[in-house]
Amino acid sequence: MILSDSAKLQISQTAKRYPKVRSAILPALHIAYEEHGYLSDQIYEEIAQILDLKLIEVAEAASFYTMFPKAKRGKYLIQVCRNISCALLGSHHLTAYLLDKLNVELGEITADGLFTVVEAECLGSCTTAPMMQVNAHYYENLTVEKVDRLIEEFRSQK
Amino acid sequence: METKLLTQHVGDPQQHTMERAIEHGAYQAWQKVLKEIAPADLIQIVKDSGLRGRGGAGFPTGLKWSFVPKDSLKSKYLCCNADESEPGTCKDRVLLEGDPHAVVEGMMIASYAIGCHTAFFYIRGEYDIGQVRMSKAIADAYAKGFLGKNILGSGYDLDIVVHRGGGAYICGEETALLSSLEGDKGLARLKPPFPAVEGLYRCPTIINNVETLANLPHIVVKGAQWFASLGTEKSKGTRIFSVSGHVKNPGNYELELGYSLRDLVYGLAGGILDDRPLKAIIPGGSSTPVLLPDKIDTKLDFESVAAAGSMLGSGAVIVMHEETCIVWVAEILAHFYMHESCGKCTPCRQGTGWIYEILRRIEAGYGKMEDIDTLLDIADNIEGNTICPLGDAAVVPVISTIKLFRDEYVYHIEHGKCKVHSQFKLRTK
Amino acid sequence: MSDFNITVNGRQVPVIKGQTVLQASLAAGIDIPVFCWHPQLVPVGACRICLVEIEKLPKLQVACATIASEGMIVHTDSPKTIKVRQGVLEFILAHHPLDCPTCDKGGECDLQNLTFKYGLDYSRQHEPKHRVIVDANSTFDDLQIGPEIIRNQNRCIHCYRCTRIVDEIAFEDDLGAYQRSYHTEILPPPGREIRNLYSGNIVEYCPVGALTNDDWRYKVRVWLTKQTSVICPHCPDGCNMKLWNFHNKLFRATSRANENIDNGFICDIGRYGYQYVASPDRIKRPMVRRSGELVETSWEEALSLIRKQTDDIKSKLSGSGFFGFIGDIRTNEEIYAFQRLLRRVIGSNNIDHRFHRRRRLTPGEEVSSRGIESDNAEFKDIENADVIVVLGSDLHSENPITSLRVKRAVKRHNAKVILLNPLPTPLGKRAATLEVIYKQGTAAVLLHGLIDAVVDLERFDPSAIKLSAAEISDFRKANAAYAGVRGSEITGVDVTLVARVAEILAAAQNVFILAGSYVERDPLRDSLHLAVANLQSFCKSARKIFLPPDSNSVGAAFFGAEPTVLPGRQSWGKKAIYEDLWHGPIPDAPGKDTIGILEAIDEDEIECGLVFNADPVRLFPDGEYVRSVMEKLKLLVVIDSFMTDTARLADVILPLSTFAEIEGTRVNWEKRMQYSQRAIPPLHESKPGCEIIELLADRLGVKFNQSKPSDVYQEMARFFPTGAPTTYAAIGRDGFLIRSAETNKPGKLAYLRFVAPAIDTEYRFILLVGNADHHRGTLTERNEILMKFTGEPFVGISEADATDLAVSDGDLVKVESKYGRVVGKAMILRDFPSKRVLLPENFGEMSTNILMGRQDKIDMIKLAKM
Ligand SMILES: Cc1cc2nc3c(=O)[nH]c(=O)nc-3n(C[C@H](O)[C@H](O)[C@H](O)COP(=O)(O)O)c2cc1C
Ligand code: SF4
Ligand code: SF4
Ligand code: SF4
Ligand code: FES
Ligand code: FES
Repeated sequence: MILSDSAKLQISQTAKRYPKVRSAILPALHIAYEEHGYLSDQIYEEIAQILDLKLIEVAEAASFYTMFPKAKRGKYLIQVCRNISCALLGSHHLTAYLLDKLNVELGEITADGLFTVVEAECLGSCTTAPMMQVNAHYYENLTVEKVDRLIEEFRSQK
Repeated sequence: METKLLTQHVGDPQQHTMERAIEHGAYQAWQKVLKEIAPADLIQIVKDSGLRGRGGAGFPTGLKWSFVPKDSLKSKYLCCNADESEPGTCKDRVLLEGDPHAVVEGMMIASYAIGCHTAFFYIRGEYDIGQVRMSKAIADAYAKGFLGKNILGSGYDLDIVVHRGGGAYICGEETALLSSLEGDKGLARLKPPFPAVEGLYRCPTIINNVETLANLPHIVVKGAQWFASLGTEKSKGTRIFSVSGHVKNPGNYELELGYSLRDLVYGLAGGILDDRPLKAIIPGGSSTPVLLPDKIDTKLDFESVAAAGSMLGSGAVIVMHEETCIVWVAEILAHFYMHESCGKCTPCRQGTGWIYEILRRIEAGYGKMEDIDTLLDIADNIEGNTICPLGDAAVVPVISTIKLFRDEYVYHIEHGKCKVHSQFKLRTK
Repeated sequence: MSDFNITVNGRQVPVIKGQTVLQASLAAGIDIPVFCWHPQLVPVGACRICLVEIEKLPKLQVACATIASEGMIVHTDSPKTIKVRQGVLEFILAHHPLDCPTCDKGGECDLQNLTFKYGLDYSRQHEPKHRVIVDANSTFDDLQIGPEIIRNQNRCIHCYRCTRIVDEIAFEDDLGAYQRSYHTEILPPPGREIRNLYSGNIVEYCPVGALTNDDWRYKVRVWLTKQTSVICPHCPDGCNMKLWNFHNKLFRATSRANENIDNGFICDIGRYGYQYVASPDRIKRPMVRRSGELVETSWEEALSLIRKQTDDIKSKLSGSGFFGFIGDIRTNEEIYAFQRLLRRVIGSNNIDHRFHRRRRLTPGEEVSSRGIESDNAEFKDIENADVIVVLGSDLHSENPITSLRVKRAVKRHNAKVILLNPLPTPLGKRAATLEVIYKQGTAAVLLHGLIDAVVDLERFDPSAIKLSAAEISDFRKANAAYAGVRGSEITGVDVTLVARVAEILAAAQNVFILAGSYVERDPLRDSLHLAVANLQSFCKSARKIFLPPDSNSVGAAFFGAEPTVLPGRQSWGKKAIYEDLWHGPIPDAPGKDTIGILEAIDEDEIECGLVFNADPVRLFPDGEYVRSVMEKLKLLVVIDSFMTDTARLADVILPLSTFAEIEGTRVNWEKRMQYSQRAIPPLHESKPGCEIIELLADRLGVKFNQSKPSDVYQEMARFFPTGAPTTYAAIGRDGFLIRSAETNKPGKLAYLRFVAPAIDTEYRFILLVGNADHHRGTLTERNEILMKFTGEPFVGISEADATDLAVSDGDLVKVESKYGRVVGKAMILRDFPSKRVLLPENFGEMSTNILMGRQDKIDMIKLAKM
């Protein structure tokens, strides 16, 4: 078993809130993702087992959404909004700047294992563009200076 | 000037707590409803208020509720649509983070009106603070006895379940939202049956936007008449507009419907960044047609914006100044729709990708003159021919930019480069 | 019939309420193109090729999902529709590889055809095509997604027919659509393959070449093939199939969509089953035994030998020294001709088709003549039932398409399905409302207990059934020992579970009972039949079907392959009719059945056997005994296509053509007689059954001049009830339902006497015989494709027993009875009851009949790790 007992418990508890247990797939995927940082076939199997659902139901659903990657990412997953409001204020440059600064390709993990930079569609932070999401948090109204400082902070926290 | 109805207290950093919200009058409407108003009367009040949906289509809310079959023995469901993913839009987030209790109370009132006992709050997965605050607000409401069994002795039961999306714009579309909530992929469904008749778990279901619902406590407390006195003849109340892009003071502004676009952009939002000339405005989110500067005096209400050739949509006003390459804008939006198409129906699944590929080629300098007509024709083959409105939305930026800026496309193709090259840099400070 | 009209392209089109615009138009002969629509699937409206213009509606509508309403004016060929149709085709083609010349769907591809018909003749697509690369080193993007199915994602047009067939029709879960947008990909779930019993259908109904079958790929082009209409010979469902051949070689089988029966779906056993026809193991020429060895010879020599030896035996023992066995998969014509050969030419009534272990002939048990036959019922009636009871049947493996009908009743009408079985079966998890597992041998007790529980319910309404209060109360009294806890002790079924089943039955308006192989094998088989009839009497309305074991068991019984009845189920008193017809006498006394025959051989009363496509040595209980008896015969003539265990003992073997090489009729469980065409001429030196029988008859002294099945049919057709078609040409798609008036009426209640079998402490496990995945009966092991699914016999045991015996999956275990033993690899089955062992009946290397006693009521064994 990959999932911890507490995750398992949380999943089965969550399922009780829904009239139909299949609805608990998304919450279960969130719980698993939060615990592991990525998903795998094994985790799909476990979720299916906990919820007494078919593997295919879990696997299909998970594959549809962007928030349940199957690949390992850096400790800090940086998602730069590439959409219009952010783009008008330099998000493309932001992405390029980050890649350059971290010396990494889009989607790859930095050598120190800390960072992965990807592009995202609009994250609902358009009036505070440009922005990026790092793990669960939004960092908004970004400037070069702010980005530099954030990266420093992440590095020092390790 | 803003008309702060929904956003009156969002500036208060403690408004998300139960104590502060109650101080500011939260749940009075809920208590009033439970004590004094029958569901049918409530629906009538909302009808009378003239409230129209804030999710994009502007459908009259009371009328939508009345489609729920009264004699159906099936459970009825309410879903609050907080999937907010339309590029340019972040107005619901203001409420979720700034005044979650208003949203919870709105959900309660709507649930009561349609006879729902389990309501779902579907929030886009990325909205972390919003989700935390809404969950807390709901938990506090249970603690206060505003939710649960036999609420405040009324005999009415209601549960609210928070459901986080997984990252998919399409799940904001109501039928896809239901698929997603059922645990399936977020695939849009054929209509009919309409959700009000056969929605979640094949039961009657109402889907309302966050902002729509947040209006309800005010309507209940102050009355339909009062609400109807705000706004224009057909567009009642206020709306929160997200102003983004090339303005000096981007932000969310709550305005009485009918407010002038000029006053919003040049007044509240402080005018165009670096005082450059305005090039174009998208008034209602990425799925609405672009307006030229000559439409700057358009009033911001459903009818006036429609008359100007666009739509009020989600209230996201995206401002672009003269340095913006319009083909580039179209390409960015095309990428979005390609990425977010659920893939169920052919025109959208195949067409959005094709449009993007062509735009990318033009933008990269390899365009052909016939591409412009091809784009328009592809758009024509998508529009109106898809299962859900995402397909229609996807072609809007293409059609409207070609219509208004054809010369720029031509320049691009002829010269293999932008007429104006958008090289927007990250500010240093 | 129609409720109102709509106007399509200016024509009045009648509509039955609830029909879609598409259905109404198609019925009226107006063509509207489709990709994603399929008559048996819920419309999804995904492909958009069927968009049509409907006046007064602002947008085009999908014909496939738009319910027609009165007064609609529809245009399917307006400029707007034509444009969008071209647009949709263009969208699909935008990323579709142009590899028609190498695509196996070429010639029967919906995309190719519709593009020809409606598409643009130019391309504006200059962008690179999306490609889902499977192997970076290969230019082919083929991915094997199941033992027999290959996927090329690039060709997929995302119609979702495949995933919907798997989900909606088959209730399976081994195929899905992953990701989204144009990345959407068709795949089995991670780590698995698509291998459900219905998987071949997805290939057949994939409108393009995205899914192809191994057996068809790169072998032949569709337009070069010839097709013939056949009936699947593999089970009594009687699916309608098409066989595709090129230069007399078969390349595939597909459905022939008969909504009476299969609704266009066939199971993989039927689909790939044709392969045995071309098996290299076929018996190619006649053979005779010379100095102990079977050697090939000519037909002439083989027939003369038979003549000579039969003459000897006949002079010694007369006709009663002979017997005949005929297999249940042969055609009616062959069966009829065969029994005529025995009765009239040889002078023996010793004929049987029930040498099969599925039908345990239990000497001494009282067989009542009424109430225990199947009722008149059809596939469609299953769908109209609100409660379906499956009794003693692994319906999924035994009657795969009947099983689909049950699922359809669940999907479309929310029918409740109750399984009463001695073991968990695949249908359980997929479609059952309740699954009850009883101890083999106690089903009759279970049914009586169930009846008692029904009567016990408050909602039970005696006025809704046809029994008097006295009948009911007497019956309950007599049943006391089988009711409640006492019954539960016998059956091992929890009383509360029985009560839940009773609830469902008491509320049922319309019950359909399907009884299968475990009923036929039950030690109290006849009492169990009566118990089913009793249950029927307690239902408001119910029909029962005792599913026959093989594709033409019903025909075999009807056309005289049993010792005591004459063709047409005529009693012995009618003998004169047949003597008249056959210009000569037939023996006075009825003949012996399988057991009687075996015993008579043992006692030297019978010395010659004609075994026609039958393998009693492999199948009939106590295999070693059967073998030793058969060895005693002076002359054993085997007419077969394969070297069966019985054939190995033969003195003469005549090579027999298979179903694809002959024409004829067969009768499925509905008692529907259907006609099957000949697809290819007889292979090797084999001959069709009727021809062989005519040759034998002629050689033995009587000429019927009926070596063609159609000739035989004309004679035997007179035994059908009136209204039956008298020529092949007259047999239509609906076939002919053999109906007799007196069924569907349960008779008087029958009482049960159950004596628990003595417990043997040494042999503590109950032997259950079933089917391995993708196998049914003994022909499927001759089939390479089906062997890909399950190639090895196994010994199925419960988790608890595995732990007890310290056995893990794949360990060798020994299964031993008083009569024999087999060794096989253990397969641990989840949810399987303990103290039971499941053996598949499909593999020659592990015959199960050697474990069974002839006289035993129940097969008990012991199990040990090797
Ligand atoms: C592609 C697409 C995305 C949508 N996204 C949202 C959304 O994020 N939030 C929302 O409230 N409505 C969204 N809508 C509109 C909803 O389908 C629905 O009309 C709305 O939630 C109804 O609420 P209202 O009547 O209160 O406006 C979307 C529609 C489409 C076609
Ligand atoms: S229009 Fe796009 S998003 Fe909507 S159903 Fe079709 S493919 Fe899915
Ligand atoms: S594989 Fe074939 S049947 Fe399945 S979705 Fe693709 S085109 Fe349709
Ligand atoms: S269900 Fe029976 S008749 Fe039909 S295809 Fe399968 S084996 Fe043949
Ligand atoms: S466009 Fe970047 S957050 Fe909306
Ligand atoms: S056939 Fe109607 S949408 Fe595909």
